[in-house]
Amino acid sequence: MSLLGADFRRDMEIHRYPLLVYALVPLTALVLQAWLPRVLGNYAWFDLPLVVTVYFALGRRSPIQGTIMGAAMGLFEDALSHHAIGVNGIAKTVVGFLAASVGIRIDVENYTIRLLLNFLLSLLSSAIFLFVYRVLLGLDLEWDWLTQLFIAIGNSVVALILFPLLDRFQIRE
Amino acid sequence: MESFFVRYRNVLVLLAILLAQIVGLAMQVRRGSAGHSSLDSRDGSSVRLIRLWADELVTPPERLIHNSKLGVLWVWNNYFYLRDVRQQNRDLQNTIDRLRLEQAALLEDARQGQRLQALLGFQEKYIYSTIAAQAIGTSGSSQSRVFYIDKGEDAHLKPDMAVITGDGIVGKVRDVFPHTAQVLAINDQTSGAGVILQTTRLRGILRGNADGQLMIVGILADERIQPGEVVLTAGGDLVFPRGLPVGTVEKVRRDPDRDAFIQVMVKPAAHLDRLDEVLVITSTQPRFSDQQQKDIATSQAMKGAEAEAIKEQAIQEQLKASQINAERLPGLTDPNAPAASQAGAAQPAKPGQPGSETSAPAAGPPAPKLLPTIHPDRFSPGAAPAPDTGADSNSAPKTGTSPTPQPPPERNP
Repeated sequence: MSLLGADFRRDMEIHRYPLLVYALVPLTALVLQAWLPRVLGNYAWFDLPLVVTVYFALGRRSPIQGTIMGAAMGLFEDALSHHAIGVNGIAKTVVGFLAASVGIRIDVENYTIRLLLNFLLSLLSSAIFLFVYRVLLGLDLEWDWLTQLFIAIGNSVVALILFPLLDRFQIRE
Repeated sequence: MESFFVRYRNVLVLLAILLAQIVGLAMQVRRGSAGHSSLDSRDGSSVRLIRLWADELVTPPERLIHNSKLGVLWVWNNYFYLRDVRQQNRDLQNTIDRLRLEQAALLEDARQGQRLQALLGFQEKYIYSTIAAQAIGTSGSSQSRVFYIDKGEDAHLKPDMAVITGDGIVGKVRDVFPHTAQVLAINDQTSGAGVILQTTRLRGILRGNADGQLMIVGILADERIQPGEVVLTAGGDLVFPRGLPVGTVEKVRRDPDRDAFIQVMVKPAAHLDRLDEVLVITSTQPRFSDQQQKDIATSQAMKGAEAEAIKEQAIQEQLKASQINAERLPGLTDPNAPAASQAGAAQPAKPGQPGSETSAPAAGPPAPKLLPTIHPDRFSPGAAPAPDTGADSNSAPKTGTSPTPQPPPERNP
């Protein structure tokens, strides 16, 4: 009975958006992520594709959709870099899946939870990236956790601004 | 069975997608004989296709943003901010005229220098052709310090071409797409460039670290390296021509992995994090533009006429000096001697050869004027045995003042 109740609550809280938002927001995030470091230099401490992945995964509450979206964003980022294609893809696939899985169980409208989730998932994404690069591929890579910490904080701040903005595009029934 | 797939469909989809990506990664990584893994420097066709799609999707908006920014700046600079432009224009025109002549002279020197180095067997490279390009985007990742420029195959760019700015080197072209190219910055961890320290002449390999800082590795601990020393390209990596500025030494620290080695941290000469316009070196072979060829021809003509005038003047001065010397030196010929005897001394007559005496050249070398002997002996000129004196062609001509020959004294053993 409680399971049915949870499913019912989940169905009621699924966020829906116009198709254009699904297409344009991820693309804008990718373009800005590629362009803003030219303006901000080494201080571009954020990962917009990750924030967008987390947002849609939390809002849609579908692990499959979160997984696919994370994979697509990660692969896209890999394609723009000179790394092997799939390193970011794996990291963001896991992040998308976890965000959607968590979104089923908790109230994602709470700003503190959003902040915390973004912070933790950003660090998790960095850890998976490092694991895949060093362990799975056996490649050398210098790593600076302090930069990753700044990026996680930056993602939380961006999420704080971006999530309410994107909530405005929801389809209200 | 159906309930299993339905129940675990989320996890199954996750695993399937992860597995597909892992397989894709495995196809891109190559394991060497020593057990070290490495990525192929050249992407496979399928990987390149994915990169091309991503590039084609992201580049147009980036180009739009970049061009909008340039457009706003252009309107501002060309229609609003025009103070003192006329005076600046005149000054710049004067500077251009002066620099063109200076450049022509330098190009000539460069060409001559290259010829000389070719003679010496050197393989020195000069930058002769570059293409200006705008940096329009980056990878967006701090682990991948690459950026994109707005020139590609349409501008005949090729992988491994050096990318520089007026301040120093920036990176090298990694991948070329139809209208864009991906440039690997020198501060990326996977990049590498041969460099040399200007003063100490120590050589090392330049690469980036996790923070995007430049460092030279592979240098043995050396106390001579001081902060502020200039770092230049060494030219041995077949990408960057020799002698381009790289940066200055910021500090020296011990290599954490190798005790005997140090890491030299370098402050880049180019602003690697704020790149707008860059130059791609497309050729290191001499190829001058039409205007440069004209300037060189003008310079050579001017120099040629000047050289001819100097040469003519030098010849005249040399002739004049030799005439003065000839007048001042004591004469080697007796001006009072008969012409025939002088001629005969100069060109000995060959017996039995008709006209041999008269055929002596008038412009032959002057005959030495012999002074009278004070104490003659048998070795004195003119003291030779009498019978064939007149026929001996090697004998010196007789003079009116020659004393009578005396027989040599007998020597008893």
